[in-house]
Amino acid sequence: MSPRTRARIEFWVLALMLACVILAPFVGSRLVVYDLTVTALYAMVVVSLNIVLGLAGQVSFAQTTFMAIGGYGSALLTTALGLDPWAALALSALLALAAALVIGVPLLRLRGHYLAMATFALALGTNSFVTAATPLTNGSIGISSVPPLQIGDFAFDDARSFYVLSWVACIGSMGIFALLAHSHIGRAWRALATGQEIAQSLGIDVTAYKVLAFAIGAAIASVAGSLYVEFTSFVGPDLYDIGIVLNVLLMLFIGGRGSHAGPVLGAAILTFAPQFLAGLEQYQNLVFFGFLLLLILTWPSGLFGRVRDSGPIELMLPIWLRRRRSAESP
Amino acid sequence: MNAAALLRAERVAVRYGRVDALHPLSFAAAPGSLTLVLGPNGAGKTTLVKALAGAAVLRSGRVFLGDEDISWVPAHRRVARGIALVPEGRGRLPGLSVFDNLVLGWHAAGRGRRGERADALDEVLALFPVLKERLDQDCSTLSGGEMQMLAIARALLAKPQVLLLDEPSLGLAPLAVARVYEALAILIANGLSMVLVEQKAVPLRGARETTIVLQNGRAVFQEERRPTVEELASLYLGERAA
Repeated sequence: MSPRTRARIEFWVLALMLACVILAPFVGSRLVVYDLTVTALYAMVVVSLNIVLGLAGQVSFAQTTFMAIGGYGSALLTTALGLDPWAALALSALLALAAALVIGVPLLRLRGHYLAMATFALALGTNSFVTAATPLTNGSIGISSVPPLQIGDFAFDDARSFYVLSWVACIGSMGIFALLAHSHIGRAWRALATGQEIAQSLGIDVTAYKVLAFAIGAAIASVAGSLYVEFTSFVGPDLYDIGIVLNVLLMLFIGGRGSHAGPVLGAAILTFAPQFLAGLEQYQNLVFFGFLLLLILTWPSGLFGRVRDSGPIELMLPIWLRRRRSAESP
Repeated sequence: MNAAALLRAERVAVRYGRVDALHPLSFAAAPGSLTLVLGPNGAGKTTLVKALAGAAVLRSGRVFLGDEDISWVPAHRRVARGIALVPEGRGRLPGLSVFDNLVLGWHAAGRGRRGERADALDEVLALFPVLKERLDQDCSTLSGGEMQMLAIARALLAKPQVLLLDEPSLGLAPLAVARVYEALAILIANGLSMVLVEQKAVPLRGARETTIVLQNGRAVFQEERRPTVEELASLYLGERAA
């Protein structure tokens, strides 16, 4: 498939998804609207990871850390300090940005597996910290009755209005991703994702660009974290469990690293899978992970991955059955 | 030492862990000169260009560009100052189009020096017309020779005073090698300084040239002439063959 065809398919899938999102509140059940709101908020986190991992090529498990900064930031600044929820959301995002800069400078000198392990430790630490820091976070009980976001007299406190808000935010983050991906910054990120030394030889300050990706990703993840807490008006350590990080990574890998449509599609698949598979009862997970395994084997770079590799399954086929590919000339 | 030297290395040495990859080496490259660095695998050729480009940390010694000591200028800043490296293995960046690659090079020149993008691109595409037909293609679909030309074009867009090339002929078909050398000959004739690393002797000639032969991290030959075939054989194979 040529890059142009792939871009065209991606565009139409995005258009179709947008149509679904617009129509859902009119035709869908309350559960569908709820799930789509969750999809939008997780898609934002996946977009933030897509900047760090999909564009800049840095494996990060730390997105929940920044979600937690947003979530607890919003909850504490509003309930304890009585700040306006919008101000709390913005302040938390700034805090996450600052944290990313401070953490990122030493951490992003690590590469590959080492970076993955260091950020994994950060994710584990975040969950333990918010559970243990009882005086501040109220431990495993969490903080409830977080005040809703408001514009004038209008409060985003029902499912419909929050649905609109979360999708506006999600599409906004996708817009930021698209702008970055097509700018010089995006080009530099993709260069350093393949080879740090090549990037350096092209005058790219590798550490600075990595930290930039990390910081922008942190701010977006923090906003998503804030919105999620505003949505449920509750924050607790379970929202930042290590399983969430793995889910977010899975969403990106299913959707396709570096793509525009991938994050939303991945988030939607993982959010809706339990419902589609509900009839299978105890075999639910088994079937789901079987599907996942098959997907990874056939589409290793995700549904909308930039690089369409031959999956291992394809390599098991006899040569005349394999997908036709443009042969690489010597 | 030559006062008018553009790029000068003064007793430059590099160590990887406990291994001396490059023993103290000095040389000076005048403007518009060709410095040919020859040697077998593992002789320290790549280490030398990396030290010049800033990608390898110096254990001792200093590197000057003009009068300026750039020994501690990081690699990414040396590019804008005029030292461009075409890395070994051609620096393929899958997922980026040929155009994206060229724009990355153009950006590397720094705001003051790069000029109009269209003009800069036209200039290098005149040197490598093959690339013009491939601008929208993913660079991973290029052949080895085309990719090498792209890597050189990308480095040229950074407007270098000195171009460092690490084994540009490695793994290329003879015809592609000839094309690459044709382009390099034009660049030398136009007065670009070049440090060229190769394993074998090359047909390329400069008006002013120095040849350095490295063996186990030491310069065993450093003169303003080419070594003869017999000399080269004895330098590569050690004393026994002499």
